[in-house]
Order: sequence, then C-alpha cells, then structure tokens
Amino acid sequence: MEKRYSLKLFYMLIPAFLLLILFTYIPIFRGSVMAFQYYNMFNLTNVHFNGFENFKAIIFDKNFKFWKILLNTAIWVFVSLLFQFTLGFILALLMRKPFKGRGLYSALVFYPWAVSGFAIGLVWSWMFNGQFGIVNDLLRRIGLISQNIGFLSDPKFAMISVIIANIWYGVPFFAIMLLAALQSIPQELYEAAEIDGATGFQKLFKITIPYIKPTIISTTLLRTMWIMNFPDIIYAMTRGGPANSTNILATHLINKVYQFYDYGQGAALGLMIMGILFIYALFYLKISASKEVTL
Amino acid sequence: MKVLKIFVLGIYLIAAILPFYWVLVTSLKGPKEIYTFPIKYFPSKVTFESYRQLFSFANFGIYFRNSLLVSLSAALGAMVISILAGYALSRHRNKRFKNGILLAFYFTQMIPPFILMTPLFTMLSKFQMIDKLSTLFILYVTMVIAFSSIMSKSFFDNIPISLEEAAYIDGCNTMQVLFKIVFPLSLPGMAAIFSFSFVNIWNELFLAVMFIMSDEKRTIPVALNSFISKAGISWDIMSAGLVVALLPTMIVFAFAQKYIVSGLTKGAVKG
Repeated sequence: MEKRYSLKLFYMLIPAFLLLILFTYIPIFRGSVMAFQYYNMFNLTNVHFNGFENFKAIIFDKNFKFWKILLNTAIWVFVSLLFQFTLGFILALLMRKPFKGRGLYSALVFYPWAVSGFAIGLVWSWMFNGQFGIVNDLLRRIGLISQNIGFLSDPKFAMISVIIANIWYGVPFFAIMLLAALQSIPQELYEAAEIDGATGFQKLFKITIPYIKPTIISTTLLRTMWIMNFPDIIYAMTRGGPANSTNILATHLINKVYQFYDYGQGAALGLMIMGILFIYALFYLKISASKEVTL
Repeated sequence: MKVLKIFVLGIYLIAAILPFYWVLVTSLKGPKEIYTFPIKYFPSKVTFESYRQLFSFANFGIYFRNSLLVSLSAALGAMVISILAGYALSRHRNKRFKNGILLAFYFTQMIPPFILMTPLFTMLSKFQMIDKLSTLFILYVTMVIAFSSIMSKSFFDNIPISLEEAAYIDGCNTMQVLFKIVFPLSLPGMAAIFSFSFVNIWNELFLAVMFIMSDEKRTIPVALNSFISKAGISWDIMSAGLVVALLPTMIVFAFAQKYIVSGLTKGAVKG
C-alpha cells in the first residue's frame, strides 16, 4: 500500500519534470556548450569550438565598450532596486491598517505588477516623447523646464527615463510582498513597546524591520536577479541606445541574438550573467548572514 | 498625520494610474489631435477610429485570438500539471527525494531565460517545431511550471493530510480522494496558479518573437513589436493596441488579486 502510494506520487511528478528536462535542462547544457563555439546563424556550416574567443570578443568589443555595459547594468539594477524597495515599503506601511476602500485601492495601485513590461515600456516611451510627451508638458506647465527634453534620444537622460519606468513597474511587487509580511507581525509587540514609551521610529527600526528581515532579504535578492534579467522595458524604450547609454548585459545579449544572429556570443553573455548573479547571491547571503531566508 | 497619509496615498494612486490613463486618452483622440499643441488631457471628441483601424488594417483581431488561445490553454495546462506535481511534492514522505526535486525546480528560476533561447531554437527547428502556436504552448507551460508547482505545493501543505486518511479508511480510492476531497479544497490555490500563469504568458515577448514568423500566428506583444518601424510609431494605433494588450491582465488581476497575492507570497517571488 505504502509503496504503491509513493509510486503514484512519483508518476504525478513526471509531466512537470519531463518538461523541465526537455525544455530547460537540456537547453541550458547546450547553451553552455555554445558559449565556447563559433555559432553564427549566417554561417551554420562552420560551427566549431573556439575556446574563449566569444568571451574575448565581448570584453574587447570596440563598438560596445564592455566596462560601460557593466556600469550601465549596475546602475540599472541598483538604482531601480533602491527606489522600488523604498517606495514599495512606504506604500506597504501606509496600507497596513485597514481603511475604507482598501480592496479597490490596492487593485488600482498594484495593477502594474500584472501588466506586460514590454507594453509598459512602450507606454512610457510615449509619455517621455520629446515633442508630444506628457512628461515634457507637465514639467513645462509647472515651470521646471522651458524647453522640451528629448528624454529617450539624449544619452544624458535616457538611463534616468528607463529607470523611472522600471521603478514604476516594480513598486507594487515590493508593496505586495512587504504588506503580507507586515500583517504577520503580532500586534502585542507594538503594544508592549508603547507601554515602554517607544517612538514611531523606534518601533519601525526595532520591531518592524527586524521582524520582516527575512522577507526583505529574499525579496531584494530575488528581485535583483529578476531586474538584471529583465530587458523588456529598455528594449521597448531605447533598445539599448542612444549611443549605448542604456545598454545593459541583457539587452546586449538580445541584440547579439536578434540583430547579429551571433548565438555563440549570446550564449557567452548568458553564462556571464549567470556567473555574476551566482557570485552576487553567495555574497549577499553571506553578508546578510541569515539562515532564516525562506525561498 | 492622517491628512499626510491620505495625501501620500493619493500621490501613489495618481502615479499608478497616470500612464494607463494617458495611453487610454491617446487611443480615444483622433489621430490629428494627438499631434497638436497644446496637449489635451481629455479628448475634445471621443472617437474609436484608432480601434477600428487596429482591428481592420492591422489585423489585431487575429493576434488577440492567438494570444487568448495560447494564454488560456497554457495556463490551464500549467495548472493541471503543477497541481499533480505540487500534490506529489507535498505528500511524498521521502524528505531527501522531495528536497532534491524542489531544488531542481528552484534552480530553473535562477537561469536567465535568454541563455535558453538559442539552444531551444536550434533544437526545435530540427523537429520542425518552429512557427507553431503549439510550440509556444509547450514553451509557456514550461516557463511557468516550476514556480507554479512550488506554489501549488505550499497550498497543499496547508490542507491537513488527516482528511485524506479518513477518506481512505471510509473506503475511497485515490481518484475519489483527489476529486472529492483534495481538489475542492484547493480551488483558491488553483485560481492563484491559473491567473499567475495567464498573466505571465500573456505578457511574454521574446520567446514569441523568436519562434513565430508568420503574420497570422503572431501574439499581441509580437504585433506591438512589429508596429515599431524605422519610420517611427504611429501613436494612435499603437495606443489602441496597448490598451488591448494591457486590459485583459488588469481585469484578471482585479478579480483574482486576493488569490494572486496569497500565491505570490507563498511561492515567494514572480519568475
């Protein structure tokens, strides 16, 4: 009986596992091999191993300076993350106590989580339009600028613009997750602190933040990985331009594959991203030295 | 203090709504009014001209149908498969086996999706599976299956096993136990998995761009991508297309918000 039960459960796992082996594990293995091959769709008869040539070609690329792409990636990830987290946390704190219409309110402020990053990128590129964009118009109306800014065509402003769109897109995620964590804090803790005469700030830093620390660590870590792998908004708004000012590793990879059909270099970039994320995750977990992180 | 709170909540609300409002207003203006100064924050005359063009000239009806077909079927497929997997993971008694499988699921969440694309393309083209909606179906089920299974496992973990044991003692077989006891209790979990998968599949762009070539098989994100031409974007039709692209997942989210939120927090993160 017991054995038959276990066997039945095992059968139930097969469909999910088969899909993952066929369409994730085998391709990731093949992709890792490809990174060390010359593999161009325009020249498929000449696929061969070339050692670290792909990596070298990426790092010493004259048209796409590698250090610049790394710097862009770091700015894109950390500035987005910092503001997504801070704004999401403030929103979660404000929504913590029930108020009239909270259900409707949360549907209206959380909806960006559910919509397409690519479509949202296009919406923002219309908003940032240099001639007819609403952002330019609003800034002029309140007198902050006297002349329209080409937000997406000027290398000085392009990165800020795509990051603003990304922050807008990511705030609901943090608000949703942190709100759920906040609601799990036992009310008695605050009551006890109030008896001891704690101020609002003390309660925030001595009770709230320590209590939800595991959620903070796991969400920020996973979100970092996710933002780094998320080129949709940039792809929609600038495709990495102008003059590479918004080119990050992920958009660079996409352009290699979709524009230059260089699968070998694309795969090499994929491995680099994976390596960076892996080291980052180890480092991050070590620093935050938290064993209670629940994935 | 209270006034400040309401004020800040109001700012969040405006910031969240403004982009959608703006694209909606643009889609309802006439093509001329979009490009005139001063910029109007409300159309002087509401017209559905851009929607008419979108569906007649730009064939958007077909893309909408493709997106709906693939998203609904793949989300349904993912739901069924992940319920099986999640149930097995939750009920299996061998801890080491269970943790090994879970780890294999988690690992897939860390892989950058783009490293998979080119190998998938070369693999699937060998089997003549390029440019087919059925291929997108399979890839999309795979895309969400790991996270859905983890999510479904945590839902089953909350259903006490004693209920099932009692049913076995009363003489039910496995199928009866599953369909009469377990599944009815896990309906909220199923709703969460379905809506989560639907949203992610509906929004997917890069796989669809890579694997779909023919015009009549495009999904909405691919179609929007093709609206961006060298000559620039005609924002009247694009705005109408964006509204059609955004609305379905917004509606799903509004109705399933409760389930999605509990599913997200249980499964920990959006993939």
